[in-house]
Amino acid sequence: MTLYLRARRVPLALAASVGAAALIWALWLVFSTDRDLGALVVVLTVVLMVAVLSTTLVAPDEDLERTAALRWPWRRVAHLLAALAVVLVVLLATQPTGARFGPGVLVLRDGAGLLGLTALCATVVGAARAWFLPLGWTVVAAMFPQSGAWGAVVTWQGQPPSSRPGAWVAAVLAVTGVLAYALLGAARRE
Amino acid sequence: MRAVSTAETATTIHPWAIHAEALQVRAGRHLAVDGLDLSLGTGVHGLLGPNGAGKTTLMRALATVLKPAGGRLTLLGSPVDGRTDLRTARRALGYLPQHFGYYPRFTVREFVAYLAWLKEMPKAAIPAATQRAIDRVGLSAKADARLKTLSGGMLRRAGVAQAIVNDPQVLLMDEPTVGLDPEQRLDLRELLRDLGTDACVLVSTHLVEDVVAACTEVVLVNEGRLVWQGSPAALVAHGDDGHAGDSPAERGYSALLHRHRAEAAR
Amino acid sequence: MSILRIELRRSAAIGAAVLALVVGVAALYLAPGRWSQGWMSLTLTTKEYLLLLWPLALAAGAWQGRREHRARVGELFDTTPRSPVRRMLPVLVAMGAAVGLAYLLVVVAGGLRIASTAAYFPPDVVAIVLVGAFSLSAAAWLGLGLGRLLPALVTAPALAVAGVLLVFFTTIMRPDWLGAVLSPAYGSNPFYPFQTIDPRVTGALAIWMGALAFTGVLLLVTRSPYARVAAVLPALLGLGAGAAIVPRDEATLIAPVDPVARELVCTDDAPTVCVTRVNANVLETLTPLAREGLAVLAKLPDAPTQVHEDRRSFALPDEMPAGNDDIITITVRIDDRGGLAHPASVVPEIVLSLGVDFTGECQRNGAVERAAAYYLLGREPVSDVGVVPGMISEDPLLNAEAVTLWRGLRELPSSEATARIAAVRAAILACRDTTGMLSR
Repeated sequence: MTLYLRARRVPLALAASVGAAALIWALWLVFSTDRDLGALVVVLTVVLMVAVLSTTLVAPDEDLERTAALRWPWRRVAHLLAALAVVLVVLLATQPTGARFGPGVLVLRDGAGLLGLTALCATVVGAARAWFLPLGWTVVAAMFPQSGAWGAVVTWQGQPPSSRPGAWVAAVLAVTGVLAYALLGAARRE
Repeated sequence: MRAVSTAETATTIHPWAIHAEALQVRAGRHLAVDGLDLSLGTGVHGLLGPNGAGKTTLMRALATVLKPAGGRLTLLGSPVDGRTDLRTARRALGYLPQHFGYYPRFTVREFVAYLAWLKEMPKAAIPAATQRAIDRVGLSAKADARLKTLSGGMLRRAGVAQAIVNDPQVLLMDEPTVGLDPEQRLDLRELLRDLGTDACVLVSTHLVEDVVAACTEVVLVNEGRLVWQGSPAALVAHGDDGHAGDSPAERGYSALLHRHRAEAAR
Repeated sequence: MSILRIELRRSAAIGAAVLALVVGVAALYLAPGRWSQGWMSLTLTTKEYLLLLWPLALAAGAWQGRREHRARVGELFDTTPRSPVRRMLPVLVAMGAAVGLAYLLVVVAGGLRIASTAAYFPPDVVAIVLVGAFSLSAAAWLGLGLGRLLPALVTAPALAVAGVLLVFFTTIMRPDWLGAVLSPAYGSNPFYPFQTIDPRVTGALAIWMGALAFTGVLLLVTRSPYARVAAVLPALLGLGAGAAIVPRDEATLIAPVDPVARELVCTDDAPTVCVTRVNANVLETLTPLAREGLAVLAKLPDAPTQVHEDRRSFALPDEMPAGNDDIITITVRIDDRGGLAHPASVVPEIVLSLGVDFTGECQRNGAVERAAAYYLLGREPVSDVGVVPGMISEDPLLNAEAVTLWRGLRELPSSEATARIAAVRAAILACRDTTGMLSR
C-alpha cells in the first residue's frame, strides 16, 4: 500500500491540495468580514484541490503495474473516493471556524462532478493533463454563470446549490468518470 | 551575445587531455572517488570496474558536472576547481550520461542541433555538423523522427550523436552500448576507434569485450582508486585459468581486482 | 534550423497562444453588445477578460518551466558552456512573444467588427492594449520561473487557480490605488461609454508587470538558493515604484472621464441634434428620428428645438447646467453591430417626456403625460413595455387611466387640447403637480 502511495506522488499532492485550501482559508479569515466564503472562491478551491489530487491518477510505469495480479478497477474506484473524501473532509472541516467553505451541497456536487470529469479526461489524455479541461471550464463557469436551461447545464459548476440541472450534470459526470477510469485506467502519455 | 571566435573553438594541443592528481569527488555524502591519479591522452580508454567503484562519479567530475572535493583535476589545460571559467574546456567536451535525459518532443536533428547550440558552436556550422553526427551514428533514416518514437538502441545512438556533434577533444561516454544490439555495438566500436585517433575518448562500461575490441588502453578502478592502467593485451596477460571469467580479458580483469583487494586488506 | 523556431514548434508557446486566442475571441463574440460601442469599449472588455487569460499564461509558463526537470536533462546540460541566461533566452522569447501576440490578435479580431462603426479612436487605447499584451508575457515569464522553482506536476494547476483568485481579488480590492497597481484587469468595469484609464494607472501596472517578469526570469536562470530568495526583491521594488506613480484620488482612479470622448458632436443645420463623440457614427441615423420627434412637439408653444444625447451618469457628479428648456436629452443606445439600437423608440422617448427632462426632483403624473404625448402623436396610448427599452412590466391601471384622459382630450377641439397640454408642460417646468389638468 505504501509503495502504491509513494509511487503516485501522493504525499506531495495531498500536501499541496490541503495547503492551498488552508492558505485560502487563512487569507479569507484575515481579509474578509464575511463568515461564509463567496461561492466563486469555494468553487475555485474545490477545482484546485481536485486538479492537484488528479496528478496522482497514474503511476510512472503503468504497464508494469498492469501486469501485477491486483484488482485494479476496485482500487481505482477507491482512489477516486479517497480523493473526494479528502476534498469533503478538508473543506467541511472549516464549518465551525471563522471562515466557512460551504454550503456542503455545493462542495459535494462540484467535488464529485469535477472528480468524475477529471478522471474521464485522465482516461483520454493521461493524468498529467487531465486537469486542463475541468479547470478551464470551471473558471469560466464559476465567473460567468448563466441562467436558463442550457446555460445552467453549460455553467453547472457556478449554479446555486439548489439548481437541479447543475446537480444532474454533476451526477452524470461523476458516474461516467468513475466508471471510465475504473475500467480503462489513465491513458499512458509522456 | 558575443560571438565565439574560431580561436576559442580551434583545437589546441595539451600534454594530457585529462590529468587528475589525488582526485577526490563526493557522491552525496560518500567519497566515491578517493585519491585517484590518472593521466589520459589521445586514444580510446576503457574505464572498467565493479559496481560502486566510482566510475560514474569520476565521469561526472571529468565532465565538469561535479566539483572535486579534493586533489587536482585538469581538463584540456583548464583546472576544474569551481573558480576557473570552464567555458573553453566545455566547448571541446562531449558527454553521454548513463541516464540520458532528452526532450521527447524534439526530433533527433532538433535535439542534436540544440546541443550543438548549447556547446556554443558557430551558428552557421550547426546544420552541417548535426547532419554529420547523425550520419556517423547511423541514424540518417530517423533524423526527423521524434525522440519519443525511438527504440532504446536508437535513442542511445542519438545520445552519441549529440556527444560528438562538436568534434570534441574529450569525449566521455558512460555505458554507451546499453540497449544496442550486437551489430550496433560493432558499429559503435568502429566509431570509437575512429574518434580515438585525434581525441581523448573515455568509455565507461561493464562489457569487458567492448573494451578489448575498441580501446587502446584500459583503466581499471575500484573503490575510488586507480587499480591498473595498461593495454588490453596486458590485461589479457594477467589472466589465467584460476580466476573467474568467460574470456581471457575477463579473467585478467578478475585477477587484477582480486590482487588489488588482497593488497588493500593488508 | 534556428533555435527559436525549434522552441516555438516544440514548446508550449504555440499551444498557449492558440488557447489564449480561442478563449479571448470566444469570450468577445459570445457577448458583442458589451464592446460594440467603440474602441475604448473593446479595449476595456478585452482587459476584463485578462481575468481568464492572465492565469492561463501563468499556468502555461509553469507547465513549460518544468521541462528541464521533467526531461532530466540537467546533468547533460550542465556540461555545456552556454550560460543559463543565454540558454533560456529562446524559450523566454517564444513564450513571451506568443502570448503577447495572441492578446493583440484578440483585440484585432474584435476591431475587425467595429472598425466600420467606431467613430473615435482614443489615444489611450494604444497604451492600454500594449500593456495588456505585456502583462500576458510577464505572466508567462513568471510562470516559467515558478515552474522551474517548483517543478512538480501540481504547480501548473495550482498557479492557474492562484492566478484567477489573484486577478479577481486585486481587481475589486480596497484601497483602489493598490488594486490599480496590482491587477491587470483593473479599470475595466464600464460605468459610461466615455470613460478611460489614466495613463499613470497604465504605467503603474506596466511597472508591476515588468517587476514580475524580471522575478520570473531570475528564478528561471539562477541556481543558487540565495539568488532565488533574492528574486523577490525586483517584485517588491516594482510594487514600490508602481505605488509611487499611481494616482490616489478617486476621480482619476475610478473610471476617469475622457473629455474628448464626451464632447458633443452636432449636426450643422437646425434643428440641432447632438451626440457624444464616442457615438458619432449614429448621428446620421438618429437625426431624422430626433427631428421627427421635435416636429411633433413643435405644436406646443416654446417647444424645444434641440435634441442632445444624455451625458449624465449616476457615477458622475452632475456638473452640467441643469435643464436648459430648449434641449431635450435622450439616451442613445448602441446595438451589437455598432449602430443605433431601438430606433423605433426615439420618437416616443422624445415626445413622452413632453420636452422636459426627468430629473427626479419633481412629482410627475405618468398618466397625464402619456395621454398628452399620445394625443400629439395621434395614437392611442399603449404601455411603455415594448416601446421604451428596458421596461419589463407596468401597472395596467396606469395605461387605462391614460387612455381615459386621452379619449377626453380627443373630444375637445384641437386648440383647447393643445392649450391644456401646453399648460401641463408649463406646470411640469414650474415643478407643479399636473393631476387633473387635462380633464378639467
